[in-house]
Amino acid sequence: MEKSTKELSGKIALVTGGTKGIGKAIADELAQLGATVIITARSKPDGNLRHAFIAADLTKPEDNEELAKKIIAEYDGLDILINNVGGTSAPAGGFSVLSDADWENDLQLNLLAAIKLDKALVPLMIEHNTGVVIHISSLNGKLPLYASNFSYGVTKAALNNYSKALANEVAPKGVRVITVSPGMVKTTAMETFLNSYGASIGKNLNETAQLVMNSLGGVPMNRLAQPEEIAHLVGFLVSPKASYITGTNYVIDGGTIPTTF
Amino acid sequence: MEKFAKELTGKLALVTGGTKGIGRAIADRLLEAGATVVVTARNHPGDEKLKPYFIPTDLTIPSETDKVVREINENFGTIDILVNNMGGSTSPSGGFGALTDEHWENDLQLNLQSSIRIDRAILPQMVEQKGGVIIHISSLSGILPLYESLGAYAVAKAALNNYSKSLSKEFTPKGIRVAAVSPGMVKTDTMGAYLQSLSDTSGRSVDEVTKNLMTTLGGVPMGRMALPEEIAELVGFLVSPRASYITGVNYIIDGGANPSL
Repeated sequence: MEKSTKELSGKIALVTGGTKGIGKAIADELAQLGATVIITARSKPDGNLRHAFIAADLTKPEDNEELAKKIIAEYDGLDILINNVGGTSAPAGGFSVLSDADWENDLQLNLLAAIKLDKALVPLMIEHNTGVVIHISSLNGKLPLYASNFSYGVTKAALNNYSKALANEVAPKGVRVITVSPGMVKTTAMETFLNSYGASIGKNLNETAQLVMNSLGGVPMNRLAQPEEIAHLVGFLVSPKASYITGTNYVIDGGTIPTTF
Repeated sequence: MEKFAKELTGKLALVTGGTKGIGRAIADRLLEAGATVVVTARNHPGDEKLKPYFIPTDLTIPSETDKVVREINENFGTIDILVNNMGGSTSPSGGFGALTDEHWENDLQLNLQSSIRIDRAILPQMVEQKGGVIIHISSLSGILPLYESLGAYAVAKAALNNYSKSLSKEFTPKGIRVAAVSPGMVKTDTMGAYLQSLSDTSGRSVDEVTKNLMTTLGGVPMGRMALPEEIAELVGFLVSPRASYITGVNYIIDGGANPSL
């Protein structure tokens, strides 16, 4: 597939959780489109890094603050902020197995990390009257699965509302804010989740994947997404081509969600 | 804006209502991406710069559909991309009481049934070639009805949304992606003429009547209407191979106007 060369030339992009899975695919896509990309993760991965890297655990307020400070100090501004960090380590098994700590952790990881980072960096965008913020959410924010990842869905739903509210507030100031809600995506995080869920119910990886697909109501495309497919959508949304798109939630799920919107 | 290189090379696209406004912008965008494009409309726009192949037809007349599809197949081959863009309303403003049976019938015919007929005529060839993309150009009013002047139109678009989703469930497993696009206010020539007429009759500037119109929507956070090209960019992305995991969705492009999640 040919790419439009350099439509993000001169743009500075920050991708949180940018060393694996969806975040990595997004970082690579934005770089291919010409952006200067900075990625974060809790630990620096081995091997050569394609992008500038800043270590940060965004559930820790001090790391969050430090990251924002570094971005502000080292770059002239920030054009693109991809809030991709997210996930869950809460156990499967419904509402009663979830501890206060499980809820707290998922809220920190899926909601508060983004809120804090936006608070620190969006003013920079407002100052320049331009910028795009993407919140990588999940289909589970609209279509909860209580048996496998109850708290994850809840915290993503909160993220959706926050993203929309922020969009309403900063659109007049030149900043677009969009939520992207992937369905099931083929990443190592997905594999870890399926293995862990599978272990708790005595099923293997494939059986568990099928079970989750079934509990979603089935995936019309009958497969998981490739991370690159999510990255293509994000690459489009942060480009000047998407200039009228803001304050909305784009689901990318192979047709999974059964309702109209 | 930079344009993508020829990712639709070898594809045949039909854009209904493709000689003006959003449809024209979509047709031009698909042409730029390398597709062979056929457009339909009741009349030739009299514009020598019209580049796609033009078929004069009124697709609200049932017998026209098969004729048009046959002509396209005979001249160009199998249709890969269908953009159901034709639509609109001739209903008067004045709320529910102003609408006669005929107004309802016309709006449903133009916005829903014409699309159903064309989809029905083209789906078999897409199923046979195990691939294709169908886009339904809907409207934000399908989700956010404005009863004063767009009551029947909004209802027809809401029906179109449901139909589009339903179609996607049935045909995505057969390799065909189906998606709806819901623009908010778009600055087409028709819209421009309408604003001018509002300005003439009210004595207020075009800017002022535009702002008033946006206020009736509840406000547009971006503070302006879309350009047809901006809608075309989203459609251009959705019909491309980059959108391979996107189906069964309704993507809103409204400058943030939709107040709800």
